[in-house]
Amino acid sequence: MNTCEEHGHNVLLYVDNELSGQELENFRAHLSDCLSCREQLEEEQKFSDLLHRSRPLYTAPDELRARVIAAQHTSVSDHTPNRLRKRVLRLLKPSLQTPGFPMFPWRGLTAIALVFLLGMVFVPTIARRARAATYMDTALTTHRSYLDGNLPLEIESDSPEAVTAWFAGKVPFDFRLPTSQASPNGERAYRQVGARLVNYRGSYAALVAYAMKNEKITLLVTSNKSAEAYGGDEIRSRGLTFHYHRKVGFNVITWSTHGLTYALVSELHTSARQSCLVCHQNMADKNEF
Amino acid sequence: MSFRPNDSTVESAGIEHIDGLYSYALVLTHNRSEAEDLVQETYVRALGAMGRLRADSNVKSWLFTILRNIWFNQLRQQRTAKLVALDGEERAVNIAEPAKDPYAFYVGKIEHEQVRQAIQQLPAAFREIILLREFEELSYQEIATILDCPAGTVMSRLARARASLRKLLSEVLGTSDFVRKEALE
Repeated sequence: MNTCEEHGHNVLLYVDNELSGQELENFRAHLSDCLSCREQLEEEQKFSDLLHRSRPLYTAPDELRARVIAAQHTSVSDHTPNRLRKRVLRLLKPSLQTPGFPMFPWRGLTAIALVFLLGMVFVPTIARRARAATYMDTALTTHRSYLDGNLPLEIESDSPEAVTAWFAGKVPFDFRLPTSQASPNGERAYRQVGARLVNYRGSYAALVAYAMKNEKITLLVTSNKSAEAYGGDEIRSRGLTFHYHRKVGFNVITWSTHGLTYALVSELHTSARQSCLVCHQNMADKNEF
Repeated sequence: MSFRPNDSTVESAGIEHIDGLYSYALVLTHNRSEAEDLVQETYVRALGAMGRLRADSNVKSWLFTILRNIWFNQLRQQRTAKLVALDGEERAVNIAEPAKDPYAFYVGKIEHEQVRQAIQQLPAAFREIILLREFEELSYQEIATILDCPAGTVMSRLARARASLRKLLSEVLGTSDFVRKEALE
C-alpha cells in the first residue's frame, strides 16, 4: 500500500540518508507518483539547506584553538620539555655554582628563564598552527559553498592568462596563475573552469575553480600575511613544501611561495603524493613528487 | 584492537572537529567561557584515553560523547548551570563569502544570525539534536550513542525539534529564497 500516510515519515529519513535497500527503492517509486510527498520533500530540503548554509553554527576562537593545540603538543611530547629543561639546567649549572651570591634567588631566575625559553620555542609554533588551521578551515568551507552552488563564478574561462588579467587590481596582492603547462601527450588531467573573489579576514582573496572528470577542485589564494601553510604530511618539490591534510573527507593541500599562500581542496581519495600526481601525471614534473 | 596514536593521529582527531565541538558546547552551556573550558577539557580527556580507542572507532562521535558526558557530570555536581544569555558577540564565522556583492554578503550574515537565535530559543534537548544532525551530519545511530537513547527516540525527537525550529524560522524560510536570489542576481 503506497499511501502518503505510510510514507510520510520516510520523507525525513530520506532527507537524512537513513533509508536504504528496499525501503529506499519503495520510497523513490512512491515519490515519482506522489506530488504531495514531492512537495513535502522539497520543503524539508529547503529547510535543511537553510540550516546547512549556516554551518558552522559557531567558530571556535583562535585562542581556544591555540590552547587545544598546546594541550595536544604537551600531551604528545611530554618528554620534550623535560629534555629541554635538563639541557637548560645543564647550561645554567656553572652559573648556579658561582660562589659569592649565596642569597640570590637562582632557582626563581632559572624557572623564569626556563618558562621564557619554552615560550620562545612553543608559542610561535602554536600561533603558526592556529593560523594554518584557520586558513584550511576557510578553504574547506569555501569549497563546500562552491559545491553547494552558493559561490557562483564571476569569470568562466579555461585560460590562466584571462583569469590572471581578471584578478589584476581586484585583489590586494600580485596574483598570477602559471601559464598552461604542456604535457608530453597533450592530455591534461584537469581543466580550469573559472574564478571569483571571496572575502577572507576582511580582505579579498582569489578563488579559482577546476574540474576533473566528476570532481570539482578549488584553489584559495591570499597573501601570506594573513594565512599560513603548516602541518600535515609534508611533500617537497622544486624547493616548495606542500602540506597535505585530510579533513572530513576532503584533501586540503597548502603551500606558500612568492608572498602568497595557497589551499587546494578536493575530494580525491588518495595519499599525499598520489594526490599531487593526479593533476601532474601527464606533466614533465611528475617525477618530482 | 587498540593503537598507539602518533602525532598526526592526535592532531587530526582534534582540530578538525573543534568548530563542531565548540558549537555543541555553546548549545549545551549557553555560556562562552564555559563552552571554551568544556572543549579544552574534552581534548585533554580524549588525549588521555586515546590509547584505549579502537582503531575502527568513530573519533568524531567519540569526542562529542566525551564533551556531553563532561557537561552532564558537571551539571550533576553543581546542580545548577549558569544560563548566561549569549550576547551576540560570538566570533564571526570565518567563511570566505561571496565578495562582489555586499548585499548578498549582508543577507547571508543576517540569515545566519537568525538561525543561531532560533536554535538558541529551542529547549536544550532539541538544540543538541538539531546541532548533531543538521550541523554535524551524524547518523541516527551515532546520535543515539551520544545521547544514550534508542534510535527511535532520536527519530521522533528530531522530527519534533525540526517542527519547532521550522516554526521559529518560518519568516526566514518564506523570504530567504527570494532575497538570496535577488541578491545574487
